[in-house]
Amino acid sequence: MPEALLQTGALTRRFGALAAVDGVSLAFAEGRVHAVIGPNGAGKSTFLNLLSGELRATGGLIHFRGADVTRATPDRLSRMGVGRTYQTANLFPELSCGDCVWLAAQSRLPSSMLFFRPAERYAQVGVRAARALEWCGLAERGRAIAGQLSYGEQRQLEIAMMLATEPSLLLLDEPLAGLGHDEALRIVELLRRVARGRTVVLVEHDMDAVFSISDSVTVLVDGRVLATGSPSEIRASPAVREAYLGEEIP
Amino acid sequence: MRRRLLLLAAAAALGAVAFSGDRFWLQFLGKAMIGSILAMSLDLLVGFTGLVSLAHSAFFGLAAYLLAGLTNRFDLVNPVVTLPLCVAFAAACALVIGWLSLRATGVYFIMVTLAFTQMLFYLFNDSPALGGSDGLYVKTRPIEGRAAAYVAIWAAVVLVYLLLSRLLRAPYGRVLEGIRGNDQRMRSLGYPTRRYKLVAFVIAGALAGLAGYLDATLYGFVNPAQLGWRQSGLILVTVLLGGRGTLYGPALGALLLAFIEHYGERVTDHWNALIAALVIAVVLFLPRGLAGLVQGTPRA
Repeated sequence: MPEALLQTGALTRRFGALAAVDGVSLAFAEGRVHAVIGPNGAGKSTFLNLLSGELRATGGLIHFRGADVTRATPDRLSRMGVGRTYQTANLFPELSCGDCVWLAAQSRLPSSMLFFRPAERYAQVGVRAARALEWCGLAERGRAIAGQLSYGEQRQLEIAMMLATEPSLLLLDEPLAGLGHDEALRIVELLRRVARGRTVVLVEHDMDAVFSISDSVTVLVDGRVLATGSPSEIRASPAVREAYLGEEIP
Repeated sequence: MRRRLLLLAAAAALGAVAFSGDRFWLQFLGKAMIGSILAMSLDLLVGFTGLVSLAHSAFFGLAAYLLAGLTNRFDLVNPVVTLPLCVAFAAACALVIGWLSLRATGVYFIMVTLAFTQMLFYLFNDSPALGGSDGLYVKTRPIEGRAAAYVAIWAAVVLVYLLLSRLLRAPYGRVLEGIRGNDQRMRSLGYPTRRYKLVAFVIAGALAGLAGYLDATLYGFVNPAQLGWRQSGLILVTVLLGGRGTLYGPALGALLLAFIEHYGERVTDHWNALIAALVIAVVLFLPRGLAGLVQGTPRA
Protein backbone atom coordinates (compact mmCIF):
# COMPACT_ATOMS: atom_id res chain seq x y z
CA MET A 1 0.00 0.00 0.00
CA PRO A 2 1.49 3.36 -1.00
CA GLU A 3 1.86 6.05 1.61
CA ALA A 4 -1.19 8.14 2.47
CA LEU A 5 -1.09 11.66 1.04
CA LEU A 6 -4.17 12.64 3.00
CA GLN A 7 -5.45 11.25 6.24
CA THR A 8 -8.39 12.06 8.47
CA GLY A 9 -8.66 11.04 12.11
CA ALA A 10 -12.09 10.88 13.75
CA LEU A 11 -13.09 13.86 11.60
CA THR A 12 -16.38 15.31 12.82
CA ARG A 13 -18.60 18.18 11.80
CA ARG A 14 -21.71 18.98 13.78
CA PHE A 15 -24.51 21.33 12.77
CA GLY A 16 -26.31 21.77 16.08
CA ALA A 17 -27.44 18.34 17.18
CA LEU A 18 -26.77 16.77 13.79
CA ALA A 19 -23.38 15.19 13.15
CA ALA A 20 -23.15 15.47 9.37
CA VAL A 21 -19.69 13.89 9.46
CA ASP A 22 -19.21 11.69 12.48
CA GLY A 23 -15.79 10.35 13.40
CA VAL A 24 -14.52 9.58 9.91
CA SER A 25 -11.01 8.11 9.83
CA LEU A 26 -9.73 7.46 6.32
CA ALA A 27 -6.40 7.33 4.52
CA PHE A 28 -6.10 8.40 0.88
CA ALA A 29 -3.17 6.73 -0.82
CA GLU A 30 -0.91 8.72 -3.10
CA GLY A 31 -1.66 8.29 -6.79
CA ARG A 32 -4.98 6.52 -6.25
CA VAL A 33 -8.60 7.37 -6.98
CA HIS A 34 -10.65 6.95 -3.84
CA ALA A 35 -14.40 7.36 -4.22
CA VAL A 36 -16.73 8.35 -1.40
CA ILE A 37 -20.31 7.26 -1.99
CA GLY A 38 -23.45 7.14 0.07
CA PRO A 39 -27.14 7.99 0.01
CA ASN A 40 -28.31 11.60 -0.01
CA GLY A 41 -27.54 13.30 3.28
CA ALA A 42 -24.77 10.85 4.12
CA GLY A 43 -22.33 13.73 4.63
CA LYS A 44 -20.26 13.34 1.46
CA SER A 45 -20.30 17.00 0.49
CA THR A 46 -19.70 18.10 4.06
CA PHE A 47 -16.73 15.75 4.18
CA LEU A 48 -15.32 17.27 0.99
CA ASN A 49 -15.89 20.80 2.29
CA LEU A 50 -13.93 19.90 5.41
CA LEU A 51 -11.06 18.60 3.29
CA SER A 52 -10.95 21.77 1.18
CA GLY A 53 -11.14 24.06 4.21
CA GLU A 54 -14.50 25.54 3.28
CA LEU A 55 -15.96 24.18 6.51
CA ARG A 56 -14.24 23.95 9.87
CA ALA A 57 -14.18 20.60 11.61
CA THR A 58 -15.78 20.54 15.05
CA GLY A 59 -13.59 17.58 15.98
CA GLY A 60 -10.84 15.31 14.70
CA LEU A 61 -7.84 15.87 12.48
CA ILE A 62 -6.84 16.27 8.84
CA HIS A 63 -3.26 15.58 7.79
CA PHE A 64 -2.01 16.47 4.32
CA ARG A 65 1.58 15.58 3.38
CA GLY A 66 2.22 14.94 7.04
CA ALA A 67 1.17 18.46 8.12
CA ASP A 68 -1.83 19.15 10.33
CA VAL A 69 -4.22 21.15 8.14
CA THR A 70 -7.36 20.76 10.24
CA ARG A 71 -7.73 24.50 10.64
CA ALA A 72 -6.19 25.60 7.33
CA THR A 73 -8.11 28.06 5.14
CA PRO A 74 -9.14 27.20 1.55
CA ASP A 75 -6.53 29.54 0.06
CA ARG A 76 -3.73 27.97 2.09
CA LEU A 77 -4.81 24.45 1.18
CA SER A 78 -4.96 25.44 -2.47
CA ARG A 79 -1.42 26.75 -2.26
CA MET A 80 -0.34 23.47 -0.65
CA GLY A 81 -1.65 21.60 -3.68
CA VAL A 82 -5.29 20.80 -2.95
CA GLY A 83 -7.54 21.48 -5.93
CA ARG A 84 -11.28 21.01 -6.10
CA THR A 85 -14.32 21.21 -8.32
CA TYR A 86 -17.88 22.03 -7.28
CA GLN A 87 -21.17 20.27 -7.63
CA THR A 88 -22.98 23.27 -9.06
CA ALA A 89 -21.31 25.66 -11.45
CA ASN A 90 -19.09 27.92 -9.40
CA LEU A 91 -17.27 29.94 -12.02
CA PHE A 92 -16.76 33.58 -12.87
CA PRO A 93 -19.88 33.94 -15.00
CA GLU A 94 -18.91 37.26 -16.57
CA LEU A 95 -15.37 36.29 -17.52
CA SER A 96 -14.26 34.40 -20.61
CA CYS A 97 -13.04 30.81 -20.28
CA GLY A 98 -9.54 32.04 -20.97
CA ASP A 99 -9.71 34.59 -18.16
CA CYS A 100 -11.17 32.07 -15.69
CA VAL A 101 -8.31 29.65 -16.32
CA TRP A 102 -5.86 32.54 -16.32
CA LEU A 103 -6.93 33.45 -12.78
CA ALA A 104 -6.44 29.86 -11.71
CA ALA A 105 -2.98 29.71 -13.30
CA GLN A 106 -1.96 33.10 -11.94
CA SER A 107 -2.64 31.87 -8.40
CA ARG A 108 0.61 29.88 -8.63
CA LEU A 109 2.72 33.03 -8.81
CA PRO A 110 4.40 33.56 -5.43
CA SER A 111 2.06 36.54 -4.99
CA SER A 112 -0.32 38.50 -7.20
CA MET A 113 0.46 41.78 -5.45
CA LEU A 114 1.95 42.90 -8.77
CA PHE A 115 0.83 46.36 -9.77
CA PHE A 116 2.78 47.53 -12.78
CA ARG A 117 3.55 45.06 -15.53
CA PRO A 118 0.53 44.04 -17.63
CA ALA A 119 -0.68 40.58 -16.70
CA GLU A 120 -0.10 39.18 -20.21
CA ARG A 121 3.63 39.68 -19.75
CA TYR A 122 3.69 36.86 -17.20
CA ALA A 123 4.23 34.32 -19.93
CA GLN A 124 4.45 31.24 -17.71
CA VAL A 125 0.91 31.95 -16.47
CA GLY A 126 -0.36 32.05 -20.04
CA VAL A 127 1.37 28.78 -20.87
CA ARG A 128 -0.12 27.06 -17.83
CA ALA A 129 -3.59 28.40 -18.61
CA ALA A 130 -3.45 27.38 -22.27
CA ARG A 131 -2.25 23.88 -21.36
CA ALA A 132 -5.11 23.39 -18.90
CA LEU A 133 -7.69 24.58 -21.44
CA GLU A 134 -6.32 22.27 -24.08
CA TRP A 135 -6.24 19.30 -21.74
CA CYS A 136 -9.92 19.75 -21.07
CA GLY A 137 -10.86 20.21 -24.71
CA LEU A 138 -11.59 23.90 -24.42
CA ALA A 139 -8.70 25.25 -26.49
CA GLU A 140 -11.14 26.66 -29.05
CA ARG A 141 -13.45 28.14 -26.43
CA GLY A 142 -11.04 30.57 -24.77
CA ARG A 143 -13.11 33.62 -25.70
CA ALA A 144 -16.51 32.18 -24.78
CA ILE A 145 -18.13 33.69 -21.70
CA ALA A 146 -18.17 31.19 -18.85
CA GLY A 147 -21.78 31.90 -17.87
CA GLN A 148 -22.96 31.05 -21.37
CA LEU A 149 -21.27 27.66 -21.74
CA SER A 150 -23.28 24.45 -21.88
CA TYR A 151 -23.53 22.48 -18.67
CA GLY A 152 -20.96 19.95 -19.83
CA GLU A 153 -18.53 22.64 -20.93
CA GLN A 154 -18.86 24.35 -17.57
CA ARG A 155 -17.73 21.09 -15.97
CA GLN A 156 -14.79 20.95 -18.35
CA LEU A 157 -13.93 24.51 -17.38
CA GLU A 158 -14.19 23.64 -13.68
CA ILE A 159 -11.69 20.86 -14.22
CA ALA A 160 -9.44 23.08 -16.35
CA MET A 161 -9.36 25.71 -13.60
CA MET A 162 -8.49 23.08 -11.03
CA LEU A 163 -5.68 21.70 -13.19
CA ALA A 164 -4.27 25.18 -13.86
CA THR A 165 -3.50 25.43 -10.13
CA GLU A 166 -1.26 22.35 -10.54
CA PRO A 167 -2.72 20.41 -7.62
CA SER A 168 -1.42 17.11 -6.30
CA LEU A 169 -4.68 16.22 -4.54
CA LEU A 170 -7.97 16.57 -6.42
CA LEU A 171 -11.31 16.82 -4.65
CA LEU A 172 -14.14 16.21 -7.11
CA ASP A 173 -17.67 16.93 -5.94
CA GLU A 174 -20.14 15.05 -8.15
CA PRO A 175 -18.49 15.95 -11.46
CA LEU A 176 -21.20 14.09 -13.39
CA ALA A 177 -24.28 15.46 -11.64
CA GLY A 178 -26.90 16.76 -14.03
CA LEU A 179 -25.08 15.71 -17.20
CA GLY A 180 -26.62 13.88 -20.13
CA HIS A 181 -25.30 10.45 -21.08
CA ASP A 182 -22.88 11.62 -23.78
CA GLU A 183 -21.59 14.54 -21.77
CA ALA A 184 -21.07 12.24 -18.78
CA LEU A 185 -19.06 9.81 -20.92
CA ARG A 186 -16.86 12.66 -22.09
CA ILE A 187 -16.24 13.87 -18.53
CA VAL A 188 -15.50 10.31 -17.32
CA GLU A 189 -12.90 10.00 -20.07
CA LEU A 190 -11.42 13.35 -19.05
CA LEU A 191 -11.38 12.35 -15.39
CA ARG A 192 -9.60 9.12 -16.23
CA ARG A 193 -6.83 11.08 -17.94
CA VAL A 194 -6.72 13.70 -15.18
CA ALA A 195 -6.48 11.05 -12.48
CA ARG A 196 -3.35 9.49 -13.94
CA GLY A 197 -0.50 10.06 -11.51
CA ARG A 198 -2.66 12.15 -9.18
CA THR A 199 -4.45 11.51 -5.94
CA VAL A 200 -8.20 11.89 -6.25
CA VAL A 201 -11.08 11.99 -3.78
CA LEU A 202 -14.22 11.48 -5.83
CA VAL A 203 -17.73 12.07 -4.52
CA GLU A 204 -20.20 10.78 -7.11
CA HIS A 205 -23.66 9.31 -7.52
CA ASP A 206 -23.11 7.63 -10.86
CA MET A 207 -22.17 4.08 -9.74
CA ASP A 208 -20.95 2.91 -13.14
CA ALA A 209 -18.49 5.78 -13.25
CA VAL A 210 -17.40 5.25 -9.66
CA PHE A 211 -16.75 1.55 -10.09
CA SER A 212 -14.95 2.05 -13.39
CA ILE A 213 -12.42 4.69 -12.34
CA SER A 214 -11.86 4.15 -8.62
CA ASP A 215 -9.13 2.12 -6.96
CA SER A 216 -10.99 2.08 -3.67
CA VAL A 217 -14.42 3.04 -2.42
CA THR A 218 -15.72 4.22 0.93
CA VAL A 219 -19.40 4.12 1.78
CA LEU A 220 -20.68 6.81 4.12
CA VAL A 221 -24.04 6.46 5.83
CA ASP A 222 -25.33 9.03 8.30
CA GLY A 223 -21.90 10.62 8.48
CA ARG A 224 -20.14 7.39 9.43
CA VAL A 225 -17.99 5.00 7.44
CA LEU A 226 -19.97 1.87 6.68
CA ALA A 227 -17.30 0.14 4.62
CA THR A 228 -14.09 0.75 2.71
CA GLY A 229 -12.66 -1.56 0.09
CA SER A 230 -11.93 -2.22 -3.54
CA PRO A 231 -14.81 -1.65 -5.98
CA SER A 232 -15.49 -5.37 -6.24
CA GLU A 233 -15.50 -5.82 -2.46
CA ILE A 234 -17.93 -2.94 -2.06
CA ARG A 235 -20.16 -4.24 -4.81
CA ALA A 236 -20.25 -7.65 -3.17
CA SER A 237 -20.81 -6.43 0.39
CA PRO A 238 -24.32 -7.31 1.62
CA ALA A 239 -24.22 -4.53 4.22
CA VAL A 240 -23.55 -1.95 1.52
CA ARG A 241 -26.27 -3.33 -0.70
CA GLU A 242 -28.76 -3.19 2.09
CA ALA A 243 -27.84 0.25 3.40
CA TYR A 244 -27.07 2.02 0.23
CA LEU A 245 -27.79 0.36 -3.02
CA GLY A 246 -31.19 -0.49 -1.68
CA GLU A 247 -31.34 -3.78 -3.50
CA GLU A 248 -32.83 -6.99 -2.28
CA ILE A 249 -30.13 -9.52 -1.54
CA PRO A 250 -30.62 -12.36 -3.96
CA MET B 1 -10.28 54.39 -29.66
CA ARG B 2 -13.21 56.77 -29.21
CA ARG B 3 -12.67 56.56 -25.49
CA ARG B 4 -9.01 57.41 -25.80
CA LEU B 5 -9.69 60.44 -28.01
CA LEU B 6 -12.39 61.64 -25.65
CA LEU B 7 -10.02 61.39 -22.70
CA LEU B 8 -7.15 63.11 -24.49
CA ALA B 9 -9.44 65.93 -25.61
CA ALA B 10 -10.83 66.35 -22.09
CA ALA B 11 -7.35 66.34 -20.54
CA ALA B 12 -6.02 68.85 -23.08
CA ALA B 13 -9.01 71.16 -22.65
CA LEU B 14 -8.76 71.03 -18.87
CA GLY B 15 -5.02 71.65 -19.04
CA ALA B 16 -5.52 74.65 -21.32
CA VAL B 17 -7.84 76.29 -18.79
CA ALA B 18 -4.79 76.80 -16.55
CA PHE B 19 -3.57 79.49 -18.94
CA SER B 20 -6.84 81.40 -18.88
CA GLY B 21 -6.20 82.68 -15.37
CA ASP B 22 -9.93 83.02 -14.82
CA ARG B 23 -10.56 82.77 -11.09
CA PHE B 24 -13.99 81.24 -11.36
CA TRP B 25 -13.13 78.54 -13.90
CA LEU B 26 -9.93 77.57 -12.13
CA GLN B 27 -11.79 77.06 -8.89
CA PHE B 28 -14.80 75.43 -10.50
CA LEU B 29 -12.92 72.98 -12.69
CA GLY B 30 -10.33 72.36 -10.00
CA LYS B 31 -13.12 71.26 -7.71
CA ALA B 32 -14.64 69.13 -10.47
CA MET B 33 -11.34 67.36 -11.12
CA ILE B 34 -10.94 66.65 -7.42
CA GLY B 35 -14.31 64.95 -7.78
CA SER B 36 -12.82 62.91 -10.63
CA ILE B 37 -10.01 61.65 -8.40
CA LEU B 38 -12.53 60.71 -5.73
CA ALA B 39 -14.80 58.94 -8.19
CA MET B 40 -12.03 56.99 -9.91
CA SER B 41 -10.54 55.86 -6.61
CA LEU B 42 -13.92 54.84 -5.19
CA ASP B 43 -14.62 52.93 -8.39
CA LEU B 44 -11.54 50.82 -7.69
CA LEU B 45 -13.61 49.46 -4.78
CA VAL B 46 -17.19 49.68 -6.08
CA GLY B 47 -16.78 48.87 -9.74
CA PHE B 48 -13.68 46.73 -9.89
CA THR B 49 -13.69 44.87 -6.58
CA GLY B 50 -17.40 44.87 -5.78
CA LEU B 51 -16.96 46.62 -2.42
CA VAL B 52 -19.41 49.43 -1.72
CA SER B 53 -17.69 51.71 0.79
CA LEU B 54 -19.24 54.76 2.43
CA ALA B 55 -15.97 55.68 4.12
CA HIS B 56 -14.43 57.38 1.11
CA SER B 57 -15.16 60.92 2.31
CA ALA B 58 -13.56 60.09 5.66
CA PHE B 59 -10.11 59.66 4.08
CA PHE B 60 -10.64 62.80 2.02
CA GLY B 61 -11.49 64.77 5.16
CA LEU B 62 -8.78 63.26 7.36
CA ALA B 63 -6.03 64.27 4.94
CA ALA B 64 -7.50 67.77 4.58
CA TYR B 65 -7.70 68.20 8.37
CA LEU B 66 -4.16 66.95 8.80
CA LEU B 67 -2.97 69.57 6.32
CA ALA B 68 -4.78 72.27 8.30
CA GLY B 69 -3.21 70.98 11.52
CA LEU B 70 0.30 70.79 10.06
CA THR B 71 0.23 74.29 8.60
CA ASN B 72 -1.52 75.98 11.54
CA ARG B 73 0.16 74.30 14.48
CA PHE B 74 3.56 73.28 13.18
CA ASP B 75 4.15 75.70 10.31
CA LEU B 76 4.74 72.73 8.06
CA VAL B 77 3.67 73.94 4.64
CA ASN B 78 6.08 72.70 1.96
CA PRO B 79 4.17 70.18 -0.18
CA VAL B 80 7.26 67.99 -0.42
CA VAL B 81 6.70 67.28 3.28
CA THR B 82 2.98 67.78 3.78
CA LEU B 83 1.71 65.90 0.70
CA PRO B 84 3.35 62.56 1.54
CA LEU B 85 2.43 62.98 5.22
CA CYS B 86 -1.24 63.63 4.48
CA VAL B 87 -1.54 60.84 1.91
CA ALA B 88 0.26 58.40 4.22
CA PHE B 89 -2.05 59.39 7.06
CA ALA B 90 -5.12 58.71 4.91
CA ALA B 91 -3.60 55.37 3.88
CA ALA B 92 -2.89 54.43 7.50
CA CYS B 93 -6.45 55.30 8.53
CA ALA B 94 -7.75 53.26 5.58
CA LEU B 95 -5.61 50.35 6.75
CA VAL B 96 -7.17 50.40 10.22
CA ILE B 97 -10.76 51.09 9.10
CA GLY B 98 -10.45 48.64 6.20
CA TRP B 99 -8.97 45.91 8.36
CA LEU B 100 -11.93 46.18 10.72
CA SER B 101 -14.64 46.72 8.07
CA LEU B 102 -13.52 43.85 5.86
CA ARG B 103 -14.36 41.37 8.61
CA ALA B 104 -17.91 42.04 7.48
CA THR B 105 -19.23 41.37 3.98
CA GLY B 106 -22.06 42.58 1.79
CA VAL B 107 -24.49 45.02 3.34
CA TYR B 108 -22.76 44.72 6.72
CA PHE B 109 -19.54 45.99 5.18
CA ILE B 110 -21.43 49.04 3.91
CA MET B 111 -22.91 49.64 7.37
CA VAL B 112 -19.55 49.38 9.13
CA THR B 113 -17.93 51.88 6.74
CA LEU B 114 -20.93 54.17 7.27
CA ALA B 115 -20.53 53.90 11.04
CA PHE B 116 -16.85 54.86 10.91
CA THR B 117 -17.64 57.83 8.69
CA GLN B 118 -20.33 59.06 11.08
CA MET B 119 -18.03 58.59 14.07
CA LEU B 120 -15.37 60.72 12.44
CA PHE B 121 -17.91 63.33 11.39
CA TYR B 122 -19.12 63.79 14.95
CA LEU B 123 -15.58 63.71 16.31
CA PHE B 124 -14.65 66.71 14.15
CA ASN B 125 -18.04 68.39 14.32
CA ASP B 126 -18.20 68.34 18.12
CA SER B 127 -14.58 69.07 19.07
CA PRO B 128 -13.83 72.81 19.40
CA ALA B 129 -10.11 71.97 19.29
CA LEU B 130 -10.63 70.48 15.81
CA GLY B 131 -12.58 73.48 14.58
CA GLY B 132 -16.04 72.22 15.46
CA SER B 133 -18.85 72.62 12.97
CA ASP B 134 -17.19 75.73 11.49
CA GLY B 135 -14.14 73.81 10.32
CA LEU B 136 -10.63 75.18 10.01
CA TYR B 137 -8.76 77.55 7.76
CA VAL B 138 -5.48 76.43 6.23
CA LYS B 139 -3.55 79.58 7.14
CA THR B 140 -0.74 79.10 4.65
CA ARG B 141 -1.52 77.02 1.60
CA PRO B 142 1.16 74.60 0.39
CA ILE B 143 0.70 75.70 -3.21
CA GLU B 144 0.35 79.46 -3.61
CA GLY B 145 -1.74 80.84 -6.38
CA ARG B 146 -4.89 79.43 -7.86
CA ALA B 147 -3.37 78.61 -11.23
CA ALA B 148 -0.53 76.64 -9.63
CA ALA B 149 -3.00 74.70 -7.48
CA TYR B 150 -5.07 74.03 -10.58
CA VAL B 151 -2.08 72.65 -12.45
CA ALA B 152 -1.26 70.41 -9.51
CA ILE B 153 -4.82 69.08 -9.50
CA TRP B 154 -4.75 68.53 -13.25
CA ALA B 155 -1.46 66.61 -12.97
CA ALA B 156 -2.90 64.55 -10.10
CA VAL B 157 -5.95 63.52 -12.15
CA VAL B 158 -3.80 62.42 -15.07
CA LEU B 159 -1.44 60.57 -12.76
CA VAL B 160 -4.21 58.81 -10.85
CA TYR B 161 -5.83 57.71 -14.10
CA LEU B 162 -2.58 56.32 -15.46
CA LEU B 163 -1.70 54.65 -12.18
CA LEU B 164 -5.07 52.96 -11.79
CA SER B 165 -5.34 51.82 -15.39
CA ARG B 166 -1.88 50.32 -15.11
CA LEU B 167 -2.72 48.56 -11.88
CA LEU B 168 -5.95 47.18 -13.29
CA ARG B 169 -4.16 45.57 -16.23
CA ALA B 170 -1.54 44.02 -13.95
CA PRO B 171 -2.01 40.66 -12.18
CA TYR B 172 -3.37 42.53 -9.16
CA GLY B 173 -6.19 43.99 -11.26
CA ARG B 174 -7.12 40.53 -12.50
CA VAL B 175 -7.42 39.36 -8.92
CA LEU B 176 -9.80 42.23 -8.10
CA GLU B 177 -11.89 41.31 -11.13
CA GLY B 178 -12.03 37.73 -9.88
CA ILE B 179 -13.04 38.84 -6.40
CA ARG B 180 -15.87 40.90 -7.84
CA GLY B 181 -17.05 37.88 -9.83
CA ASN B 182 -16.78 35.18 -7.17
CA ASP B 183 -14.90 35.86 -3.93
CA GLN B 184 -15.36 32.37 -2.50
CA ARG B 185 -14.03 30.76 -5.66
CA MET B 186 -10.97 33.03 -5.59
CA ARG B 187 -10.18 31.76 -2.09
CA SER B 188 -10.46 28.18 -3.24
CA LEU B 189 -8.06 29.02 -6.08
CA GLY B 190 -5.46 30.05 -3.51
CA TYR B 191 -5.97 33.80 -3.16
CA PRO B 192 -6.22 35.22 0.36
CA THR B 193 -8.92 37.59 -0.87
CA ARG B 194 -9.29 39.70 2.25
CA ARG B 195 -5.67 40.80 1.94
CA TYR B 196 -6.20 41.84 -1.69
CA LYS B 197 -9.34 43.74 -0.76
CA LEU B 198 -7.54 45.49 2.08
CA VAL B 199 -4.78 46.64 -0.28
CA ALA B 200 -7.43 48.02 -2.67
CA PHE B 201 -9.09 49.78 0.26
CA VAL B 202 -5.78 51.36 1.29
CA ILE B 203 -4.92 52.47 -2.26
CA ALA B 204 -8.38 54.00 -2.67
CA GLY B 205 -8.12 55.65 0.75
CA ALA B 206 -4.70 57.11 -0.06
CA LEU B 207 -6.04 58.57 -3.33
CA ALA B 208 -9.05 60.02 -1.50
CA GLY B 209 -6.51 61.57 0.87
CA LEU B 210 -4.69 63.05 -2.11
CA ALA B 211 -8.00 64.57 -3.24
CA GLY B 212 -8.60 65.99 0.25
CA TYR B 213 -5.14 67.49 0.35
CA LEU B 214 -5.69 69.17 -3.02
CA ASP B 215 -9.11 70.40 -1.97
CA ALA B 216 -7.76 72.03 1.20
CA THR B 217 -4.99 73.56 -0.90
CA LEU B 218 -7.43 74.96 -3.45
CA TYR B 219 -9.93 76.36 -0.95
CA GLY B 220 -7.74 76.94 2.09
CA PHE B 221 -10.54 75.60 4.20
CA VAL B 222 -11.82 72.32 5.67
CA ASN B 223 -15.12 71.55 7.38
CA PRO B 224 -16.69 68.47 8.89
CA ALA B 225 -19.41 68.17 6.25
CA GLN B 226 -16.68 67.14 3.82
CA LEU B 227 -16.09 63.93 5.71
CA GLY B 228 -19.71 63.16 6.44
CA TRP B 229 -21.52 60.28 4.83
CA ARG B 230 -23.52 62.56 2.50
CA GLN B 231 -20.26 63.34 0.80
CA SER B 232 -19.54 59.62 0.47
CA GLY B 233 -22.99 59.12 -0.98
CA LEU B 234 -22.37 61.82 -3.56
CA ILE B 235 -19.13 60.17 -4.68
CA LEU B 236 -20.98 56.88 -4.97
CA VAL B 237 -23.65 58.56 -7.11
CA THR B 238 -20.88 59.97 -9.32
CA VAL B 239 -19.50 56.47 -9.84
CA LEU B 240 -22.89 55.01 -10.73
CA LEU B 241 -23.71 57.91 -13.01
CA GLY B 242 -20.39 57.75 -14.82
CA GLY B 243 -20.33 53.98 -15.09
CA ARG B 244 -18.82 51.68 -12.51
CA GLY B 245 -16.16 49.30 -13.68
CA THR B 246 -14.53 51.90 -15.91
CA LEU B 247 -12.14 54.69 -14.95
CA TYR B 248 -13.10 57.24 -17.56
CA GLY B 249 -16.81 56.98 -16.74
CA PRO B 250 -16.56 58.17 -13.12
CA ALA B 251 -13.84 60.69 -14.06
CA LEU B 252 -16.07 62.32 -16.67
CA GLY B 253 -19.16 61.78 -14.51
CA ALA B 254 -17.65 64.03 -11.84
CA LEU B 255 -17.12 66.80 -14.39
CA LEU B 256 -20.63 66.43 -15.72
CA LEU B 257 -22.11 66.49 -12.24
CA ALA B 258 -20.25 69.71 -11.45
CA PHE B 259 -21.73 71.36 -14.53
CA ILE B 260 -25.23 70.15 -13.76
CA GLU B 261 -24.88 71.49 -10.24
CA HIS B 262 -23.59 74.85 -11.46
CA TYR B 263 -26.14 75.50 -14.17
CA GLY B 264 -28.94 73.74 -12.31
CA GLU B 265 -28.54 76.23 -9.49
CA ARG B 266 -29.33 79.08 -11.87
CA VAL B 267 -32.48 77.43 -13.11
CA THR B 268 -33.93 76.18 -9.86
CA ASP B 269 -33.15 75.98 -6.16
CA HIS B 270 -34.10 72.33 -6.35
CA TRP B 271 -31.19 71.29 -8.55
CA ASN B 272 -30.69 68.26 -6.34
CA ALA B 273 -33.95 66.95 -7.74
CA LEU B 274 -32.46 67.25 -11.22
CA ILE B 275 -29.52 65.11 -10.20
CA ALA B 276 -31.84 62.61 -8.54
CA ALA B 277 -33.90 62.33 -11.71
CA LEU B 278 -30.75 61.87 -13.76
CA VAL B 279 -29.48 59.16 -11.44
CA ILE B 280 -32.79 57.29 -11.60
CA ALA B 281 -32.81 57.53 -15.39
CA VAL B 282 -29.23 56.29 -15.67
CA VAL B 283 -29.71 53.41 -13.25
CA LEU B 284 -32.85 52.29 -15.05
CA PHE B 285 -31.82 52.77 -18.65
CA LEU B 286 -28.01 52.77 -18.66
CA PRO B 287 -26.81 50.09 -16.27
CA ARG B 288 -23.25 50.72 -17.41
CA GLY B 289 -23.67 54.42 -16.72
CA LEU B 290 -22.75 57.20 -19.10
CA ALA B 291 -19.66 55.17 -19.98
CA GLY B 292 -22.05 52.74 -21.65
CA LEU B 293 -22.74 55.46 -24.23
CA VAL B 294 -19.09 55.60 -25.19
CA GLN B 295 -17.98 52.43 -26.84
CA GLY B 296 -15.04 50.81 -25.20
CA THR B 297 -13.69 47.48 -24.11
CA PRO B 298 -15.13 46.12 -20.86
CA ARG B 299 -11.73 46.07 -19.22
CA ALA B 300 -10.55 49.56 -18.28
